[in-house]
Amino acid sequence: MKVYSLRVLVVLMSLFIGAGLVGACTQHEDESDEETPSFAEAQKPKAVYGKIQKVNIGATIDADMAHEGKEIFEVKCMACHKYDERYVGPALGKVLERRTPEYVMNMILDTETMIENDDTAKCLMQEYLMRMPNQDVNEKNAREILEHLRDHASKSK
Amino acid sequence: MKNTILSQSAQDLTTQDLTTQALTLQGTQIMKRERIWMQFVLSILAIFTIAACSNDGSNKGVGVATDAAQRVYVAPGEKDEFYNFVSGGFSGQLAVYGIPSGRLFRVIPVFSVDPEKGYGFTEETKPMLNTSHGFVPWDDAHHTDLSQTGGVADGKWLFINGNNTPRIARIDLTDFRTKEIIEIPNSAGNHSSPFSTENSEYVVAGTRFTVPIPNADIPISEYAEKFKGALSFVKVDKTTGRMEIAFQLIVPGFDYDLARAGKGPSHDWMFMTCYNTERASTMKEINASQNDKDFILAINWKKCEELAAQGKGTIANVEYAHNVYNDETHTATSTIKKSVRVLTSDDIKEALYYIPTPKSPHGCDVDPTGELIVGGGKLATVIPVMSYSKMLKAIASGKSDKIIDGIRVLPYKDCLAGEVQRPGLGPLHTEFDGKGFAYTSMFVSSEIVKWSLKDFKVVDRIPTYYSIGHLSIPGGNSTKPWGKYVIAYNKMTKDRYLPTGPELTQSAQLYDISGEKMKLLLDFPTIGEPHYAVAMPAALIMKQSRKMYQLMENKHPYVTRKEADTKVVRNGNDVHVYMTSIRSHLSPDNIEGIRVGDKVYWHVTNLEQDWDVPHGFAVIGNNNSELLIMPGETCTLLWEPKKAGVFPFYCTDFCSALHQEMQGYARVSNGGSAPLTWNKK
Repeated sequence: MKVYSLRVLVVLMSLFIGAGLVGACTQHEDESDEETPSFAEAQKPKAVYGKIQKVNIGATIDADMAHEGKEIFEVKCMACHKYDERYVGPALGKVLERRTPEYVMNMILDTETMIENDDTAKCLMQEYLMRMPNQDVNEKNAREILEHLRDHASKSK
Repeated sequence: MKNTILSQSAQDLTTQDLTTQALTLQGTQIMKRERIWMQFVLSILAIFTIAACSNDGSNKGVGVATDAAQRVYVAPGEKDEFYNFVSGGFSGQLAVYGIPSGRLFRVIPVFSVDPEKGYGFTEETKPMLNTSHGFVPWDDAHHTDLSQTGGVADGKWLFINGNNTPRIARIDLTDFRTKEIIEIPNSAGNHSSPFSTENSEYVVAGTRFTVPIPNADIPISEYAEKFKGALSFVKVDKTTGRMEIAFQLIVPGFDYDLARAGKGPSHDWMFMTCYNTERASTMKEINASQNDKDFILAINWKKCEELAAQGKGTIANVEYAHNVYNDETHTATSTIKKSVRVLTSDDIKEALYYIPTPKSPHGCDVDPTGELIVGGGKLATVIPVMSYSKMLKAIASGKSDKIIDGIRVLPYKDCLAGEVQRPGLGPLHTEFDGKGFAYTSMFVSSEIVKWSLKDFKVVDRIPTYYSIGHLSIPGGNSTKPWGKYVIAYNKMTKDRYLPTGPELTQSAQLYDISGEKMKLLLDFPTIGEPHYAVAMPAALIMKQSRKMYQLMENKHPYVTRKEADTKVVRNGNDVHVYMTSIRSHLSPDNIEGIRVGDKVYWHVTNLEQDWDVPHGFAVIGNNNSELLIMPGETCTLLWEPKKAGVFPFYCTDFCSALHQEMQGYARVSNGGSAPLTWNKK
């Protein structure tokens, strides 16, 4: 039984990988902040990859967390990511309009798994040709970065 | 996580030889069913292998041949089939490996000092590292090329570039020593180098950084107008190998990256990639990646040679060092040269053409027939293959996309033989097997892709661990490749070896390419960071290997051919010790009368005349290296004693049962006028 289900999964996986590569990536993904919500909706991954399966987002923004997150973001992320312009990596000022909190956390914490499995991450890999380096961000810090990105987006509205 | 594991097992299945490997291990009962399933999986995966290529370290076994151990095992006492000369990257040196074993035989010091061999420390070798900036103890060595006759390696010399302080070095393949280093003026970042023409008429030196020519104190914001590229053609003497800069081409200020000479019909041409056609001078990571196409510059060097001979161009005032090691005196001399012939694009319009090439091209490789030129656009989605004959037609047609500084940009489509579609991500370099296939390294997707030169279709791919840069097939850049292996030189090893702190070993991987499918045979560690490497059959080099230097031919000014002639001579504050070494004594072995403040030159001649008997020499507290003296050779070590006392010296290379006894003392006095005395047999 076990062998059988493994085989099925292998086949499904290979179909999935193929679809990810050939389907989604033929379209040049616009990572600028002009991206329309409907396109973002279409691009939303069907499954959550990486170790963060669910992020609990508060109704309001936690100022302390956001403050911590800003510090970390400036040290560990901003050499390659800006808020409003495409740089080495995509602009992140409004990233939460096009990505789920789980996606953001997993890209930070589990880049390899994301690039291997997530359609959007795969496409971005092909577009930017640069694997996001591991910046040794732990789960607490990743959550704080996420809070900072929420905070930043709310303030720049 | 689960999915990751599954995709990896899927990959395992694609890359193993299904009929002969895993299945036979599982017993015949389920074999048939399994095979059908796996073939189904295989057929799907074959289409999408890029995505299946994981960069995760748990794929240890992917693509490994079942008989890998046997294939790379060179039994004790047996010898390897190929020499592999691997650039040492930021070590500045050249490493010599055996293939298929991957064993390291020797590190040849080239651009960096090597205290073990006294290189850059002895009086004889210090001039080798002289430059127009003075003594430079280090460089970054990227690309090797062998001297060629008729497009095939002739085993005489190896050329290697110094990237940081632009230089080309020539290594003699009879004694594996650096014999000559020539500095390249008007250049900065000698990356597009040393790539030889078909008969080693020239080696080339294209600049990666454009600079003001002549260099001047001007604002960097004037980059786009004032910075230029210099491409140097360095003539190589057929008999002696001696290099001289024949002429430099001053071209638009793009970043000149890699090059290959034509062969056969395209013999007269050199092809050189360039990127940053945007002429960006800041944050190039982004700003030099804007254009969809950059260029391969096609240079008719034969025509440039003719025009230079006619006196075209100007003689520019420059300053560069030319360092030559003399085999008879065992001594290098450094000469600062002051002029070079410079040709601008106005002088040589009919010899230069830009071929558009997608996107930020890196590698530029010419197939064994000389007809196809492969660009490795590191940001491109295809591998473009240019046709030499089509390029000639495009030139004759008079059509141009545009003209840059007088140089015609030929229409892309008119020069194109074809494009390899969906090769993977980040194509860099291509080598050829001589059997109609090309092998391209894919940096981003970490794999080697094999494709057909007939229809430009991908026929096989195999992962590398990890992030392959260059790759090498023995003779894979020549007219007659020995297409048995391809070796990958990787930029990362991550989890492949025992960890050694933050800095991990660098690594190469050996693949069998004798069959239809590539198979991984071996990982082996390398020095520095390997960039390009060349390989050739050992049989063509080993028979010419020098065993020792003839004492009777030793013309070193301080040679001591026989023990009876050993002496110590004072000349002001300079003390010259004429010393000999033979198993197992140094002569003289006790010296007195040296004074604090003297400069003591130990000129040690190794009197041995047999293979494999070097002697070493070192003095306690010397602010200098040791000597390592080959049989029949004379080497000189400078010692400047700073205090009075008795100072032992000894032979550092274990030479015989009485090696420990091979020693002596130097007595150093504070002032005084005691004469020099020494004892000898």
